[in-house]
Amino acid sequence: MPAVKKHRIVDSITRESIISNLANSTRLDERGLLDYRNLEIETNILKDKTNGSAKVRLGESEVWAGIKVETATPFPDTPAEGVMTCNAEMLPISSQYIEPGPPNEDTIELSRVSDRGIRESGMIDVKELCIKEGKQVYSVYIDVAIINEDGNLFDAVSYAATTALLMADMNKFTIEDDEVKMLDEKQPLPIKSVPVSTTFAKIGDKIIIDPNADEQEIATARLTLVTDENGKYVSAQKGKPGGFTFDELKEISVISKEKGDEIRVKIREAVKNGS
Amino acid sequence: MSKNKIERISGRAPDELRNVSIKAGVIKNADGSALIEFGKNKIMAAVFGPKEVHPKHMMVSDRAIIKCRYHMMPFSTDTRKRPNISRREIEISKVIREAVQPAIIMEDYPRTAIEIYIEILQSDGGSRCAAINAASTALADAGINMRDLVTACAAGKVDGQVVLDVDDTEDKTGEADMPIALLPNTGLITLFQLDGNLSKEEFDKALELAKIGCDKLYKLQRDALSEKYFDGKNGNKEE
Amino acid sequence: MKTNSVERKYVMPGDVVIEGDHNPLANVIKSGNKIISTKIGMAEISYNGVRVIPLNGTYIPRIDDVVIGKVADMNGFAWEIDINSWFFGILTGSAVFGRQFSSSRDSMKSQFNKGECLIAKILSFDRTRDPLISVSGPGLGKINEGEITYITSSKIPRVIGKKGAMIKLIEENTGCRMTIGQNGAILLKGTDEARTKARNAVKLIGNQAHISDLNDKVISLISK
Repeated sequence: MPAVKKHRIVDSITRESIISNLANSTRLDERGLLDYRNLEIETNILKDKTNGSAKVRLGESEVWAGIKVETATPFPDTPAEGVMTCNAEMLPISSQYIEPGPPNEDTIELSRVSDRGIRESGMIDVKELCIKEGKQVYSVYIDVAIINEDGNLFDAVSYAATTALLMADMNKFTIEDDEVKMLDEKQPLPIKSVPVSTTFAKIGDKIIIDPNADEQEIATARLTLVTDENGKYVSAQKGKPGGFTFDELKEISVISKEKGDEIRVKIREAVKNGS
Repeated sequence: MSKNKIERISGRAPDELRNVSIKAGVIKNADGSALIEFGKNKIMAAVFGPKEVHPKHMMVSDRAIIKCRYHMMPFSTDTRKRPNISRREIEISKVIREAVQPAIIMEDYPRTAIEIYIEILQSDGGSRCAAINAASTALADAGINMRDLVTACAAGKVDGQVVLDVDDTEDKTGEADMPIALLPNTGLITLFQLDGNLSKEEFDKALELAKIGCDKLYKLQRDALSEKYFDGKNGNKEE
Repeated sequence: MKTNSVERKYVMPGDVVIEGDHNPLANVIKSGNKIISTKIGMAEISYNGVRVIPLNGTYIPRIDDVVIGKVADMNGFAWEIDINSWFFGILTGSAVFGRQFSSSRDSMKSQFNKGECLIAKILSFDRTRDPLISVSGPGLGKINEGEITYITSSKIPRVIGKKGAMIKLIEENTGCRMTIGQNGAILLKGTDEARTKARNAVKLIGNQAHISDLNDKVISLISK
């Protein structure tokens, strides 16, 4: 699309439609307030150059995640721990509102929230990423490319990264005569937990799940909440300059666990079909 | 077609292209887009425009300006690449822009910008040629007035033999790499680079092979657009 | 040769539509003896000349076109309207308030605010400036209700049909009232059901590569 300003503008007609539909507990795409859009997960989309990969379509939002496992020297204060980094890239191909160049605050927030969702859940046990203490550890890189943006990239990125990690493998190493040697044999990553992200938006006094781009734009507040398979809450981020009440937070936390469990089933299914 | 004495590392015949597929209209938010799978390369191109120029001082009063960005995702290569844009990517962005620009009728779009974004999701040799094929398909998909499509292919020399379409493994031990891009109906060559060591004979042979590769790829570009716009019917259609 | 015979064929950029001394009309260029298409679409060769009807491409404003847009921004003197084209349409304060318009006295916001939608007419557009639009006139002005659906602007003629036949067909069979913007935006008014049927009909038209059986397909869809 042509002449463009820096951010999305939802026109007044659409805005009013969204709000009046919400009053009847429906949404423009005929979903219920707590329904996710269609979720498609495809594994091994980048099998030739990555250790693991996945493509996720959540409604029209599309992201591709790729895992690269390399080796590195450990940080001095954690000599027996491996390293993990997660980086989400908002690409200019994905939207007319994304300019090429250094990441802006939204991109950085997306990246850091995705990173914490995986890190804080202990999904990857970094203690099991040690090859030779003080000398060599595994370094797991999770990079996610945003291909098409239509709201709720937080969840799309989370599902793609999680699936890719579950699909990933890495070379085994052995130590012979104090020398580290890489073997051809592969092993899966040390996965201890499967975190699932859920994102909510507040429009007026209604709470909806999985907002699309228009809904996200007119929402006053957004909440991403990540749970693991043991029902533990591991990561959260409120975004947008509005707020939630205590009751709303409690309600959201219940729904987050339910929906998280449903989506975890889909992720596990995709991994099972892909292996 | 003829089996040669020297077997290529990739197992292909000297004039054989890798498997290629092109799909147009893959990114909903873009004005035009294409996904190309060229051997193990997986590349997306998106076109936005014509649109207003930012910053305004870059606007040209009688034509469009073309912006082009070639960027590789960190997971696209054997060794993870850092996210920051490299000098190599900047140079490739420039040569790609200069390869497709001649096909665009820029005077039809005064005071605007046409932006081409190329993302390398998986890279395996010959990515700039694959990128050009995707970019020109995306431009046609966006409805930008073009004199012609732009098709690109590389020839090279591997194990002393001039071959078509060098992949990453072959490139590592290869003696020459010659990517070209051209406007298929006029034959005008708009990208031409060479790295290596070729005799006059080899040079001519490489050009010839690259042209053969482009002919095949042009057909695939047409198929991709025909698939999206003409329900796959490529010929004349009476109504 | 019959003077009203038209030859048609699918073309892509770079395709030679025809050779010889023909008049290049639209979306073609003349190169030596050849007429070459610059777009993907349907080429039409007739006595008048050669043109290509594109199947894609951004809307290019033409004087007197009715367009539907939304307010993207405003400064002290004018509103910038997103009309789904290369540039924003400019609606000047004086066009709305009159020649006595003064930005200190007349409130721009009282008339049109960011995000509001309107039906407008293209007043002028040339290669040296952004298109000027007007909202004065019958049927023009702010849109207060309804739904806006989008289609590639080059397919708008199909939504209208020969002498309005298609739009009439849709309106009569769905009960939805439609206002067509040449820029590819269509305003739908009516009950939820009416609008849904009309929206689906528009979407169907947008997805068709060619127009044979279009009438039948549309009727069959909206009769369900």
